[in-house]
Amino acid sequence: MAAPTQLVPQQSTPQRSTAARVKKVLGRFEGYFYLLPSFVILSIFIFLPAITTFTLSLNRTAPFGSDTIFVGLGNYRRLLTDPQYYEGVVVTFWFIVGTVPLAIVLAVALAIALSYPLGRLSPIYQMLVFLPVVISSAVTGILFRWLFNPIVGNINYLISLFGVDGPNWLASRTWSLVAVIIAVVWGQLGFNVIIALAGVQNIDETLYEAAKVDGAKLWQRIRYVTLPMLTPTLFFLSVINVIFSLQAFAEINILTDGGPGRSTTTLIYAVYRDAFIGTPQRGYASAQAYLLLIVVVLLSLIQFKFLAKKVHYQ
Amino acid sequence: MTSDVLPSQQAQASSDGDAILRLRDRRLQGRNRRRVIDLGMHLFLLSVGLLVSAPVIIAILTSFKLPADVFNFPPQLLPETWTLANYSTAWNSTPLGRMLINSFVQTGIITAVSVAFSVPAAYAFAMMKFPGRDKLFYVVVGSLMIPFELVFIPNFLLVSGWGWTNTFRGLTVPFLASAFGIFLLRQFFMALPQDLHDAAKVDGASSLRFMWQILIPLSRGAIGAFAIFAFLSAWNQFLWPLIITDSVDMRTTQIGIRFFLFDQERGSDWGAIMAAAVIVMIPTLIAFFVAQKQLVRGIAMSGLKG
Repeated sequence: MAAPTQLVPQQSTPQRSTAARVKKVLGRFEGYFYLLPSFVILSIFIFLPAITTFTLSLNRTAPFGSDTIFVGLGNYRRLLTDPQYYEGVVVTFWFIVGTVPLAIVLAVALAIALSYPLGRLSPIYQMLVFLPVVISSAVTGILFRWLFNPIVGNINYLISLFGVDGPNWLASRTWSLVAVIIAVVWGQLGFNVIIALAGVQNIDETLYEAAKVDGAKLWQRIRYVTLPMLTPTLFFLSVINVIFSLQAFAEINILTDGGPGRSTTTLIYAVYRDAFIGTPQRGYASAQAYLLLIVVVLLSLIQFKFLAKKVHYQ
Repeated sequence: MTSDVLPSQQAQASSDGDAILRLRDRRLQGRNRRRVIDLGMHLFLLSVGLLVSAPVIIAILTSFKLPADVFNFPPQLLPETWTLANYSTAWNSTPLGRMLINSFVQTGIITAVSVAFSVPAAYAFAMMKFPGRDKLFYVVVGSLMIPFELVFIPNFLLVSGWGWTNTFRGLTVPFLASAFGIFLLRQFFMALPQDLHDAAKVDGASSLRFMWQILIPLSRGAIGAFAIFAFLSAWNQFLWPLIITDSVDMRTTQIGIRFFLFDQERGSDWGAIMAAAVIVMIPTLIAFFVAQKQLVRGIAMSGLKG
């Protein structure tokens, strides 16, 4: 950022009236008024709750009524010995392993293909691939609930063309998580391709020319020019997709409601279930939310650090 | 390949000598090869594009099928008979109209106010000078790290404690500020010459006037990009409307369609479910077709700048 040029030398003029001085002081603090509305809202609904989630997690709500008992770290101690919590960690782990690499590989492959110049039709292909970006998670859940229909769903029909009987996706303990993964990857695809394509298009054209002169074939150009130059984008995509997957909610709610059993109850879904379904255990749910929040904040910090470094390096 | 060369070219080439003929051949070969690759890429991208958008296309086509044809096996892509029956079922068996109004009011308020709050904040961060400015900006960036989905329990207790369940206040107020919007717009404002601001100040323009008359007209594209982003994320909200409303009258479309799904699935009326899904998608699809450029730009900026 260039230092602003000081056009008027700031000199103290003793004759200046009080009104002008007040105006000057006000001017110095004027910026705060512009920030105020946003800061009020962010403070009440983001910063304050980030703290109260923790204080809530130190309490246990009596099953009936709203009396709370202070239990210190009791909820966290309970988490450590709760097999369901471990199950949630495992489901979330496989969910992330299933979504993130697949999402990134698809996004980068599609972005490279879409960056190929095809004249006037290019925007149409882009539009078709970007489309999921505007589809809500709830509608994504509904669309895939239909596609995963075990009898007349298009997915099992496609599978049957290869002579294999598709599973009853959403009712199967083995396949339900795969089904949710497919829906979530689809839902995120538009966003990911847009980011990846921006990254691909940002690569200096002369690098490809140089590689061409050196006789690099298409695959070599992708391997030795595109992918290395795309590292910051790939890093951004991996972190943001892990965060997205940690928060994925509507698809699970609509496709499986966390089941069958707890086979698709990820950590965030367990938070919702414990806080709102059946007898609310909001202290216990808050403890789970708080641990998850720490993970997300750590991931974001790593990302900011890395991106800050990238700016220096460029 | 020589046979592909036009006679006139051949004649010219023979007069120019064999070397040039060979060069021309190679160039033509290259051009033909390029054409084949182009055709291949067209076919590849078209099929990939259709595959990616297939869930939406299938939903739209299914919504126009006769209820009896929806369950045909093997599944047919196109309806045998086109009908609007599913739309009238969906419209009549759930208060979709009311839900659409709710969603439009909720989305409208969030979009308008979060733009109105984010522009001045971004302006202050980008161009004004006041103590603690950069620290406060880090605070805003920091709030980007806290997903609403992870702090919804205290928010729910707070907002329901105010008696705001089943109200537009409850649906909208928590989202009237957007750290992402402030961040995005600040990046854009920073790219404008700071001299613009200083010169206006020297000329005696107030900050407010500078913002209205110079900054906003200059940044319509960026503000539009954020507005479309805010519109989509508000329209597509799920978790918060799900917990903060429990009356049918205050449900937004996303929640309405979830309950419609679970009601209808017992009767397995998938044609009507798809019709309802299409109705819920239409506003976002329109926004997508009208403002794809802005939307893509807003998202791409979030990726490039972190």
